[in-house]
Amino acid sequence: MKLWPWLLDLTFGSPERERPVHLWLPLFLVWPLMVLVALLAFVVTLPVDAVLLLVGRPYHHYTALVYRTFALFSELRGMVVRVKDDETKTLIDMTVY
Amino acid sequence: MSEDRARILNMLAEGKITAEEAEQLLDALETRTAPAAPAAGPAIKGDPGPLIAALPKYLYVKVISDNGDNVDVKVPLALVRSGLKLTSLIPPQAMDQLNDSMSEHGMSIDFNNLKPEDIDELIEALREMEINVNAANGDNVRVYCA
Repeated sequence: MKLWPWLLDLTFGSPERERPVHLWLPLFLVWPLMVLVALLAFVVTLPVDAVLLLVGRPYHHYTALVYRTFALFSELRGMVVRVKDDETKTLIDMTVY
Repeated sequence: MSEDRARILNMLAEGKITAEEAEQLLDALETRTAPAAPAAGPAIKGDPGPLIAALPKYLYVKVISDNGDNVDVKVPLALVRSGLKLTSLIPPQAMDQLNDSMSEHGMSIDFNNLKPEDIDELIEALREMEINVNAANGDNVRVYCA
């Protein structure tokens, strides 16, 4: 799994604001919380999957589902969304690093 | 000419890969398609880094309109791939609900039919995709991979 996004560069402007607001959000500060959530999720999913496997149920992939969901978050790196409306002076600019 | 061979030659023509890289890819293709060829090592000799680097990595969606609305979205193809692969892990009950909900909203896509091997093929096809829409009112929409 790749590293999770560590920084979010966010700029937004609206007709009410004279100048757009520019924020650098340190996503790496959320990492410990995400690790904790992932561990708690695995504590639940691993036994559930083991039981489902032993019982012979065809679906026993909850752990893989949780892992892939967190992996999906890491693939967000490099995503850019820019929306600009010159008429209403609305601006949204988001880059994930 | 096979589809893969044509794709490699197109990439060479577009300057996405060098002649040497194209030769390596064609060799690899021949090795793959040769009947009962013994696996004597990696299909691509040398460092595959430059070849991987030449492949498109992002899906771009650009909308430019005459009245000043501009939308620019850049989505990593790895995110698309991971997202599609995630659908193959969704529990069957949830998948049925998802399919029902999609069809209620006019999108009859059965995600149960999406197999991991199809996903790779879909992503490969996406790399070749390019959509250009030039509307009469001056709006310009472009979707492509690079």
